[in-house]
Amino acid sequence: MTAMRGRFRITPFMVWVGLLSVIMASGAVAGYIVFTQGLVVTNLTDLVPWGLWITIDLSAIAMSAGAFLLCAAVYLLGLKRFQPVAKTATFIGLIGYSMAVLTLLLDIGRPDRFWHALVFWNPHSLLWEVTMCVTLYFTVLMLESAPIFGRAAWLQQRWPRLAERLDSIHHYAPFLAIIGLGLSMLHQSSLGATYGVLKARPIWYRPDLSVLFMASAIAGGPSLTVLVSRLAGRLTRHAHVDEDLLDRLTYFIGWVLVGYLYFRFWDALSMTYTYQPGRTEGLELLTKGRLSFNFWAGEMLLGAAIPAVILLVPRLRRHALLQMLALALVVGGVVAYRWDVNMAGQLVVLTYLPHEISARYTQYVPSLVEFLSGAGIVAYGVLAVTLGVRYLNLVDHRQGEAVAEEVHLPAAAAAD
Amino acid sequence: METKSIKRRDFLKITAAGTAVVGGLRLARGTAASETGDASPYKWAMVIDQAKCIGCGYCTLACRAQNDVAPQISWNRVMEAGKAGDKTIYLPRPCMHCENAPCVEVCMVKASYRRPDGIVMMDYDRCIGCRYCEVACPYSARAFNWEEFTEPNPAVPAWGTPQVDRRPRGVVEKCSFCYHRIDRGLALGMKPGIDVEATPACVVACPVGARMFGDLNDPESPVSKALAANPSYRLREDLGTSPRVYYLPAREESST
Repeated sequence: MTAMRGRFRITPFMVWVGLLSVIMASGAVAGYIVFTQGLVVTNLTDLVPWGLWITIDLSAIAMSAGAFLLCAAVYLLGLKRFQPVAKTATFIGLIGYSMAVLTLLLDIGRPDRFWHALVFWNPHSLLWEVTMCVTLYFTVLMLESAPIFGRAAWLQQRWPRLAERLDSIHHYAPFLAIIGLGLSMLHQSSLGATYGVLKARPIWYRPDLSVLFMASAIAGGPSLTVLVSRLAGRLTRHAHVDEDLLDRLTYFIGWVLVGYLYFRFWDALSMTYTYQPGRTEGLELLTKGRLSFNFWAGEMLLGAAIPAVILLVPRLRRHALLQMLALALVVGGVVAYRWDVNMAGQLVVLTYLPHEISARYTQYVPSLVEFLSGAGIVAYGVLAVTLGVRYLNLVDHRQGEAVAEEVHLPAAAAAD
Repeated sequence: METKSIKRRDFLKITAAGTAVVGGLRLARGTAASETGDASPYKWAMVIDQAKCIGCGYCTLACRAQNDVAPQISWNRVMEAGKAGDKTIYLPRPCMHCENAPCVEVCMVKASYRRPDGIVMMDYDRCIGCRYCEVACPYSARAFNWEEFTEPNPAVPAWGTPQVDRRPRGVVEKCSFCYHRIDRGLALGMKPGIDVEATPACVVACPVGARMFGDLNDPESPVSKALAANPSYRLREDLGTSPRVYYLPAREESST
């Protein structure tokens, strides 16, 4: 496949990277249009001011949850055998957070003032807290990812000193895992609370959102990590996966989905009990209205129930393709959930006219520029992980000698 | 081995740092509380008499000119709000200048803040345009500058001349109770709500006297007198936002 001797050949890898680059390039053009012409090129309005980009931001953060979970499992619970998976998850977290930062830069009206959030504090604001978590946890992820770069053979050959420095940060891994656990959990749940504290939007105004954002992230993050590992193991010889290790993790995800469905059940049921203006209409939008296919098929059936069955029944789970399908469905379900939460509170707006507090419906379909720039950011994330698998030995579950030989050989004297 | 000792020592460090951060936050919140505490002698409020309002929209136009508001944005919308007998009732809606303003609570950079006299202000140099306040406001009183407003303002000069800067693209804007008129008027010894120069433009422009402005701390102010003599209500009082805009309801007997 990648035998490059002799004449130049187009490999599937090159086609894949080329395709992602084209999507990224069109995203860059769309991004340029946004920065020069302003958010008027979006289909966002004063009544629906948060749309596709916020969904991508929330989803990228949720998909990064594998990092804190696996780092905590390895360094705090002492489940050392998951260490190679934690490495994959950490890198995905790093890329996920950088994707979130990119989307936010697109989304805010004054990207030139992004630093205001760090200088002018309103600790009472959930978005202030979220900003702090993004900044601090992104820093933690960079430190946690440093050894991944430090152990890359090409870096060790060219700049052995730098590689050694980066690698030595792994001594702080347990410490970083503690901070990461705190910041990341705070962040995941605060994103739910960002919506949950808004009295003006009754479908959002409930404490459950923090819990559900957390639970869905705990299902979605590791799902993406395992899915990426499995895909890499099948598609490239640069990856080496341990079936048993991933199998345990998917079983865990299956149970998380059961817990998530349980919370979702109570959350939804409690909202049906009595009529409340705005909230009832929002719920009907989800269960019977415009968002119903997304809700029932995307979130519930395909996004949680079916993958939970596949991942919990050993016979189904051990079927590699079926397992990968289930993991992809979980990822899709979490994205669908983020989209539905964001839209349900904005497609229904309560009027404030006296004596007739009633719901009014709004519209939102993302514009082409929103789609292209969003796709560009997703393509960037996929490309970064692809390159990580190829050049940073991102998916390698072999432990012990085989790894030591292959990875540490060029700078064995310096590293060990 | 090595990792263990680092862990323990750094655990103490992080605990100390964490305590300092929490302490810092408490201090920050303490100062925030004293900022919003009512240390001003004034308590500005607006009263809108729906029995008098004829829905002409002069208030909106005067506001547009005074504050240089773009045509696609309204700081002060006038809506139809049902009928009393055969007369249409209107609901003009400026910013409510809530005592417990959700926009102030959620703004991450304190670009939305509440002055001691009760005016909810916008710092357009600080706003980053995240639009959290837009989803937080129950009254849809906020508008985002989706594009730059470069054309001449069609409401100028017929309805007045702009007295504040035009907002840049990418920030959220809203009604300010014409704070610049109040502040300048007070500095010149005038009485907001009584002296025209010191009163919000929409109140001055109203041809039927449906709008009143003044200080709730002053029992002789037009707003205090109107509220003492008439039944009144505020929008979405159930939310506990405590608006500083009061409405005198139109009733069938008052429509004659």
